[in-house]
Formats: sequence, C-alpha cells, structure tokens
Amino acid sequence: MKLAYVLFGCVISALAQPPATRAMFNRYCIGCHSEQARAGGVSLQNSFSPTVSERAVRQLSHRHMPPLGLPRPDDATYKLVVNELTATLDATAARHPQAGRPGTFRRLNRLEYHNAIRDLLAVEYNVTSLLPADETSHGFDNIAVENLSPILIERYLSAAQKISRLALGSPVRKPSSELIMIPPDLTQEEHVPGLPHGTRGGAIATHNFPVNAQYEIQVRLSRDRDERVEGLDVAHQVELTLDGTRLGLFTVTPTPRGQDHQNVDKHLTVKLAVKAGPHQLGVSFPRKTAALLETGRQPYQAHFNMDRHPRVQPALYSITVLGPFDAVGSGDSPSRRRLFVCGEQTDACAKQILSTVLRRAYRRPIHADDLTAPLEFYRKAKAEGGFDNGIEMALRALLVNPQFLFRIEKDPANANKSPYQLSGPELASRLSFFLWSTIPDDTLLDLAEQDKLKDPAVIEQQVRRMLADPRSESLVTNFAAQWLYLRNLAAITPDPRLFPDFDENLRQSMQRETELFFASVLREDQPATTLLKAPYTFLNERLARHYGIPHIYGSRFRRVDLTGQPSRGGLLSHASILTVTSYATRTSPVIRGKWILANILGTPPSAPPPAVPELKEAVRTPGAKMLSMRERVAEHRKNPACAGCHNLMDPIGFAFENYDAVGRWRSTDGGAPVDASGLLPDGTKFQNAAELNQALLLRPELFVSALTEKLLIYALGRGIERYDAPAIRKIVRDAEKNQYRFSSLLLGIATSTPFTMRQSQ
Amino acid sequence: MIIQKKAIARRSLLRGFGAGLALPLLDAMVPAMTALAATPAAPVRRLGFVYIPMGATIAQWTPPELGRMTRLSPTLNSLTPYLNQLTVISNLELKNAYSPGNHATANCSFLSAAKAKLTEGTDYELATTVDQIAAQHIGKDSPLPSMELAMDLLSTIGSCDNGYSCVYQNNLSWSSPTTPLPAEAHPRLVFERLFGDGGSAAERRAEMRKNASILDWVSADIARLQGQLGFQDRTKLNEYLESVREVERRIQKAEKQSTDGEMPDLDRPIGVPASYAEHAKLMFDLQVLAMQGDVTRVISFQLAREASTRVYPEAGVTDPHHPLTHHSGDPEKMARVAKINAYHVSLFAYFLGKLNATKEGNGTLLDNSLLLCGSGMGNPDVHDHVNLPIVVAGGAAGNLKGGRHIKYDQPTPLANLHLTLLDKVGVHLDAFADSQGKISELLKPAAL
Repeated sequence: MKLAYVLFGCVISALAQPPATRAMFNRYCIGCHSEQARAGGVSLQNSFSPTVSERAVRQLSHRHMPPLGLPRPDDATYKLVVNELTATLDATAARHPQAGRPGTFRRLNRLEYHNAIRDLLAVEYNVTSLLPADETSHGFDNIAVENLSPILIERYLSAAQKISRLALGSPVRKPSSELIMIPPDLTQEEHVPGLPHGTRGGAIATHNFPVNAQYEIQVRLSRDRDERVEGLDVAHQVELTLDGTRLGLFTVTPTPRGQDHQNVDKHLTVKLAVKAGPHQLGVSFPRKTAALLETGRQPYQAHFNMDRHPRVQPALYSITVLGPFDAVGSGDSPSRRRLFVCGEQTDACAKQILSTVLRRAYRRPIHADDLTAPLEFYRKAKAEGGFDNGIEMALRALLVNPQFLFRIEKDPANANKSPYQLSGPELASRLSFFLWSTIPDDTLLDLAEQDKLKDPAVIEQQVRRMLADPRSESLVTNFAAQWLYLRNLAAITPDPRLFPDFDENLRQSMQRETELFFASVLREDQPATTLLKAPYTFLNERLARHYGIPHIYGSRFRRVDLTGQPSRGGLLSHASILTVTSYATRTSPVIRGKWILANILGTPPSAPPPAVPELKEAVRTPGAKMLSMRERVAEHRKNPACAGCHNLMDPIGFAFENYDAVGRWRSTDGGAPVDASGLLPDGTKFQNAAELNQALLLRPELFVSALTEKLLIYALGRGIERYDAPAIRKIVRDAEKNQYRFSSLLLGIATSTPFTMRQSQ
Repeated sequence: MIIQKKAIARRSLLRGFGAGLALPLLDAMVPAMTALAATPAAPVRRLGFVYIPMGATIAQWTPPELGRMTRLSPTLNSLTPYLNQLTVISNLELKNAYSPGNHATANCSFLSAAKAKLTEGTDYELATTVDQIAAQHIGKDSPLPSMELAMDLLSTIGSCDNGYSCVYQNNLSWSSPTTPLPAEAHPRLVFERLFGDGGSAAERRAEMRKNASILDWVSADIARLQGQLGFQDRTKLNEYLESVREVERRIQKAEKQSTDGEMPDLDRPIGVPASYAEHAKLMFDLQVLAMQGDVTRVISFQLAREASTRVYPEAGVTDPHHPLTHHSGDPEKMARVAKINAYHVSLFAYFLGKLNATKEGNGTLLDNSLLLCGSGMGNPDVHDHVNLPIVVAGGAAGNLKGGRHIKYDQPTPLANLHLTLLDKVGVHLDAFADSQGKISELLKPAAL
C-alpha cells in the first residue's frame, strides 16, 4: 500500500509532514485515528495518502474534527494546519495536474436539446412532450447522459420529423390541435403580468404557428366538480388577444337555474389567418369590480376549489389552437430566415445552407465528407418533393445524428494516459453548455477554429460576453434551479387544511423571487456571499403579503429594500427554499439542516442507516403536553447510529423554526414560543436564523467553495473527485481577491485545469 | 421469438419513464404488436371497465327473468344483439363506499372496493384497483399496460366531496394505494399516445422508410467514429449501435405488417367533438383501435363523473343529471334517470357492436374480451352502494356463460366479481378487498 503511494510520488510520509500538522495530529487526533483504532477507517499516526489528506483538510476547515466536546486546537492552529496540508497537496497538483475525464459521449439532455433546437433553427418546440426527463446524478441532470436506448432513438426520430417540418413550414397533412392547459390551482382573480391593464385572470402563452394559414382558437373556462363554470354568477367578458391585438371580446352569461353549463363557453372561438412563426396568445377577463368578496370569514387569496375557497369570478381552463386550415405557404418565419443563408433554390445554395447548419449542429468545422450523406438526403427528397422537401429531409436526418445528439470529446492521437488540452471546438462547447446550456454561437466557433481559445484572456473576454447575453439566463433557470432545489417546488403541495392559502400563484411567486434574486447577483456581478445576506429582494403583492411586508401592490415583481425587515434577506429566508425543505404538514429541521450542509457548506451528511422509523406526527391528547418539534427530533438523536449525522444537521435546521412550512414568519409553534437556537458543526452557537447567517459569513470561503464545487459539477458534467480539490481551492483563492464576485468564480472555472483539460485513456 | 422478447424489454423501458408523461409511441411499433396478438396459439384476454355515474333506476335496469334470459330490461334493451354474450348480476354491493362523501367514494371504490382515506390533501390513500392488478399481469406484453379514459375535460384539485380529495372523484384507476392515474378525455391526446401521428398505411410506410434511411446513416457514422476511439469508448458505441439496430428491426417488421394490411388507416382526430354522443363514440372507437392493434389490453373509461350536472338532450332529458337523481321517489324523475341510464348503456352497446364487428383470429375482439359496465352507486337518491347496476359482457375466449341473469338474495360484494375477473386473466388471488369468494356462475369451469 505504502509502496503504491510512493510510486505515485505523492505519499505524505511522517517525515515530510510539516511540523505543525504532525504536532496537532499527535496531540488531538491519533487518540482515535491511530494505527490500531482507525476511527472511520482513517489512521493519522504515520504516513497517509493524499485522499486522507484531502479528507482531513475538509474536516479541519469545517471544524468538524475533533468532535465537539473533545479538546480542540485554537483557530490559529486549525488555519496553520490546513495551510500546511493544502500547500503540500497543491504543490503536488501543480507538478502533476489531474484533469479528470468526463465521458467521451455525453448526450444533450432534454433542456440542452430544446435550447439547441431554438438556437439552431429559431424554433421554440416544447420537447417535454417528446423526450423523457433526464435522471439526476450528483444533483444535476446533465451527468447521467451517456445512454442511448432504443426508446430514445425512437423519440429522437419522432422529434426530428416534427421539428424539421416546423422549421421549414412544410405543408401539413392534416390539421391538428394544440392544447394549452392552465394549472388547476391557479387563482385568477387578479391581474396577470403581460396581459392588458384593467383585466384580471387568464393566461398568456407563446404558440408556434407552423404555416401561414387559417387557425381556430378555442377558449374553455374552468369548471367546478359539478361541471359548472366556476364563479359565473353574473355575466362576464372574456378577451382574446394575439400579440396584444384584440381578436374578440365575448360575453359569458350564467344559464337559468336547472340548466347545465355545457354550452356556456362554446362561443368563445375565433377563426383567423395567422402568419407562420411564434405568436403570443392572451386570454383575460376585463375587470368588473375592485370590491372585496363579502364572506363570513377572512377571505383567502387562493381561489380555485369550490369547497374550500371557491372562485369568485370565471377562470380560464384551456386554450386550443386548431389548424392549419387552407394553408397558403410557409411564409417568412424566423426559422426560415435563420436556415436560408442564401436565397436561390440551387444545389449550391443547398450546400451552403447545410454546411452552415451542420457546423452549428456538430459544433465544429465541417469537412467535405460530413456533407456527403446530408446532400444525398437532400437530393433524393428534392427529386420527390422539391427544394424545401430536400432541405427538410437533410435537416431531419442530421437531428438524429450522434454528432448532433452527443457532445463528443476524443482523446488526441498522441495522448498517453495523461492530461491534455481540449481542442478549440471542444472548449467552445464546454463554455457554451456551461454558461448557456446550449450550442456555441458563430463567434465562439470562429474563435475555436482560429485556435484562439487557448488564450485565457480570450476566454475571459468570451465569458464576459456570454454572461451579458440573455442565454446566460440558464445559469439561473437551470443551474440555480437545480442547486437550490427550486425545481422541486412544482411538485410541492402543502396540506390544504393547514395552508389553505397556498396556490399556483404563490408557488410561482416563490420561484420567481429566488430566480430574480440569483439573477441580480449574477447580472450585477455582486460577491457570491450576497446570496446569503442581501438588503433587498424581489416581491410582488402576493409574496409580500405572504411575508407580511406592506405597501407592495400589483402582480409585477420589483426590487424591494429590506431595511427594517430583519426576518428577510438572502436565500435562506426565501419562501421557495423554506418550502422545498419542509413536509406538507410541518417544517423539518432535519431536511433544512441537511440542505444547508449539502448545498451551502458543501459537507453533505452520509445516507441514513436502513430501517429508520418516521417521526410521529404531533397528536394533541387532552391534558398531555404536546411535544415540540425540537423534542421530537431529539428522539432520534438519542440513537447513537443516528446521532453522528443528526448532531450536525438538526441544530442547523433549528435556526429556521421561525419560518413555517411555507416560509411564513412565526413566533410560536403549536402554542409554544419558537426556539430557533442551535449550533454549527464548528461549535458556533446562534439564537436564530440571522445569527446563523452571520456565522456562515464569518468564513465566507466555506460557502464559496461549496458553490464553486456545485458550479464545477454542472460545468463538467461529472462528479467532483479528490484530485479536483486543488483546482477548487485555486478558484476560490483567486476569487477572494475580487471579493468573490460571481464572474470571478465563473472565470476561475472556465480557465481551470479540469475545465480546459481532460485525462486521456 | 427473439424479436418478441426485445419488444418486451422495450416495454419495461417505457414503464420506467413514469406515469406522468404522455408517451406518443413510435407509430411503427403498433403493427409489430398486432402480429403478436394475432398469434392463434395465445388467445388474448382483455379487460374493459366502463363507469356509469350515480347508479340507476334499478327497477328499469333489472331484467325480468332469473337465470337464462330471453329478453332484457327497458334500460338494457340496446344490448339485445349481444344477449348471449352478457350476464347481468344483481344485488352486488360496495360496503367500503359508504362515506361522508358518497360520490367521491362511489367512483373510487368501483374498481378498488376499498375505503378511501378521508383527506382533501395530497396524502390520499385508496388501494390498487382491479384493472391495474390485471394490467401488471396481462398488460406487461403490450406497449401501454393500461389506458385510463374519461369524458370530462376537468381538472379539479383540493376538496371535492365533503373533505374527500378530488382525486377520488376524478380517477377510477389507481396503480398503487397512493397513485391515482389521471384519465385522458381529449381524443387527440389519446390517439397520439396510442399511435403517434397515425396516417394512412401508405403514409406511415413512407415515414418508416425515411426513418430507416436515417438510421442507416446513423449506423454508418457510428461505425466511422469507432475507428478513432479507445476500447472503452468503442464498447459504448457498440451499445448505441445495438440500440439503433433494434429500432431498425422494429421498423422493418412494422413496415412488413403495414404492407400486409394488418392495421387500418389511422386517422388522427383533431379536437373534441361538439356533442357528447360523438365524443363518447370516438372514445370507444379509440378503445377498439387500441385493442385491435394490441397497444393495450386493459382500459377503464368513465362515461361521466359522479355528481355530474350534464344534461342529455340526445336522450330527451334536459334536467341536469345530479339534481335529477335526487328524485325522492318521484316516478316521473325516476323515469328520466332511467332514460339517462339507457342512454349510457346504448353507448356501451355501440362499443360491443364495434368489438363484435372486428375480426381477430377465428373470432372477434369481443370474443376475446371481458367487459364490466356499471356504477359504484345503487340508489342515487339516498347515495347507497347496494343493488348496484352491473353488466358483464364479452366472450372471455369462449368462457363467459352468456344470456344469464344472476341475482343474489343477500347483498354480495362487488369484489367477488373483481376476484373472478382477475382469476380469468390469470391473476389468482385468494381475496380482493372485501371479497368473500368468486362468482362461479359467471364463467364456464376451466377446461382441463
């Protein structure tokens, strides 16, 4: 064993160990980590491997070891030892860089596929109906993507047919219908952003009209469980708009008593000519009155269920687009403009069209033999159905080609089990999929072909350019949404008896707050630590009322100064995160604590042992004192098998007990005052969430390292390995000089060894 | 034979994607499956469940004769052409359906015979329904293990019936005690789930050829890449190539079937037909096509929801259904309820007619099916769950003792019928929910 380490040239022998480390290990550690005891399978008595050394760095940086209650060194000693250990590790890494090896073939995941189609063909196609969701691994869904099953091939064939047809605006065999459904728990009593002022409810949706033709648009209203249009007590108006222009203003009237509502909304239909391309369909209800509903109890803000909180006024259920009828040609859609780089219907032009699209699709320079097969498809189909048909068939074929579907990183011919510099096009793809979740644009491809991406200055310039591009929104909606578990919000429905005021509007508002907030840190290039503590957030009326913050009116989100609002500010006070870390009926200090450890501190606890009983729900027996959350959680910390991790998780989670299971502030729980005091693994005590936040910010490098690790996993599409630690430390050290500004982290990653290099086989 | 096994493997992949996703199948798959079904050696038994809401005016429903029937009741009269392929069972009950929310539980107990947990939240709990237990068994060889259909474009959530979550009232089929399967009412979405884009046989063939030529190129490109890679990566490419070949084989097979004319032209419906009758018939047509192509073997279909206020001008009834069923014994109102019942039954008769007109092997689709049509409520005026209106139709591959009226003296669990149906499709359970035994009179004893 020892010999093996020596061969790798990186054994840290007892002699080579720096003096402070040895002294501290001898004094504080080897009681448990001796050759005989080997607690946790680790001995620090003599020499130890770099792997053990990295583990020690992590344990000591986070002050997890020695365990609380045992003698611990002072803070200066901790720092000194960590510095000594990392100095050795980093020096070794500098001499023998290890780049790691993401898979040679990595399939575009569903979102990347969607974005690639958007950027390749200017077609917005809802691929969620065509492709299955991707598995999540290491917290992200762009990792486990090396598979290609028959079912996936079938889906890709089917998608390619539909998308190529749509891109060309080819004649449609038969009219079809597209159904746009509104979430059933969406309250529609208030104004919806994007719809005309003076209206309430409804929805706005972008629809891709395939060709210039007649289309029929049908609107259906929401029904209650008796199939009656909800809230239709008096006549209401419904307005249908296309790109903001009124198509029709209809009146719906309640039927006399004893008649059903089958035909109440049958007349909400318009047939009209629409030009090919994406258009915005809007349905709204001109506002009748601002008067409050008169009820016997405090009115809820949620209105979607006949029994509990009925709709007061009618609501939109679905929009159906039927067509195309009487198509008059493909017109001049954005996709045709993107595709047809030349105007003539000649073979020469076809070649130009196909080589342009092929270069973007394969994300690399195109050679003559790349064009052979696509041109063959073009020629055959052209002979059968004309020029457009030829282009469509070639496009359809290339959308199933593995060189489009997969990101391929090939070892260079001369590589021999050593790290090598990625080629320009490979690096261009890594950059674009990291920052944009899509294919590179022509600028990146040009630079790649000119071999200019080797230059860190060029990379920096490109990263800054790409961050300024709207496509970098994917860092919010894709990276942050996965890192912070925002994606789980859609599947969360708190218990309606306990939280009757929860609806889709609140769910969306919660998500939007966190997205806008993360985006502001990114766009304004603020320090990453601002994510934890910021004197501002983004609110609309609905969320502001949820938070108890006054004077915010209307559906529009705006930046809100939080001065004088000690309970809000920073991610950890966002209702979105507090809700996704709760159960349907109650908060969970365990989940919240675990979430902090895994996502904010980068020290996820290990999985629980099998056969752990659930916590019993609080049952109020007359006369008996109800156990508080703290007391109930304490139950399983009594079990030594559980205590190891729960002693770390639970005391952190307690900090958020002032926020209920949907993130509202509370000062009592079950009648008793909330006790939000707790303990960080490093021994820091706190009284509440604000103090926890302060404690976290005392050592910002821990949070920044955790965030960097998450970003790096996402950027590389692989899990983090021991040998990545030196690169992460370097990124964080360099960023520190820039106050941890967000761009410095992204730049650090984009120029790091694991990002720009790859280990050959 | 190898190809059959491959097709099964593909099924399990499909299942892995979860129930939430509507899966437009590759059109090419359908005829390949037909071949499997048409194998005379393996008579397919199919199960269909058709739900009629809010019970019936039972006097008009119950046939006059016991045992052997020569004629049907006024309500069931439209089923007369299939008299010898149906059995009426009287005095079945659903004890577990009694609840504070009888409409919700009439619906959800119909196929589960189980008691629903009283909650309006997402912690709802019922039991795996009879169709889903069957689907786990006979559905595993077809592309879709089961289909859940309904007539109402309605998605209510939260509380629907005195504190019972809307899922109980909306969903007949549950694949586990906590997994209600949402039913689809939109004909186009049902069609695409079954057949993808569809099209005429010639159109589908042309599409298959295009896909085959694309896959040729994909294979060639993968082979070209292989030359440039190391051992491990070549192994990965081999897996991809195997997947491509598998799809190629399916396309070849499907192309051959479509040339042999084993599947008709598949005309995709556009929207939802304006009239209830047309919509219902279209939904039945789709079920026939699904069974014909052996895309699925288990179907549940809700003809209307419990507590529906639909009016049926087609049947000459302009009063909303639900209020009408609270008739307080008024003979006039009871007669109108009976008219609605007869109308629903006539739609079921339409379904039987279509199945009977579709050849399969040496018989018809109807011969190889078992269909249950009825309600989870007995007398809707008092919301009870006894003396349920129940008809069983089909051939069960020659095993159903048709033309009979079985009438129990004492209320007997509907679960007995479910247990019997499961037994017939090869799922031999000792009990199902509150069952007390099987209905031995329903089917001929198994041949040795």
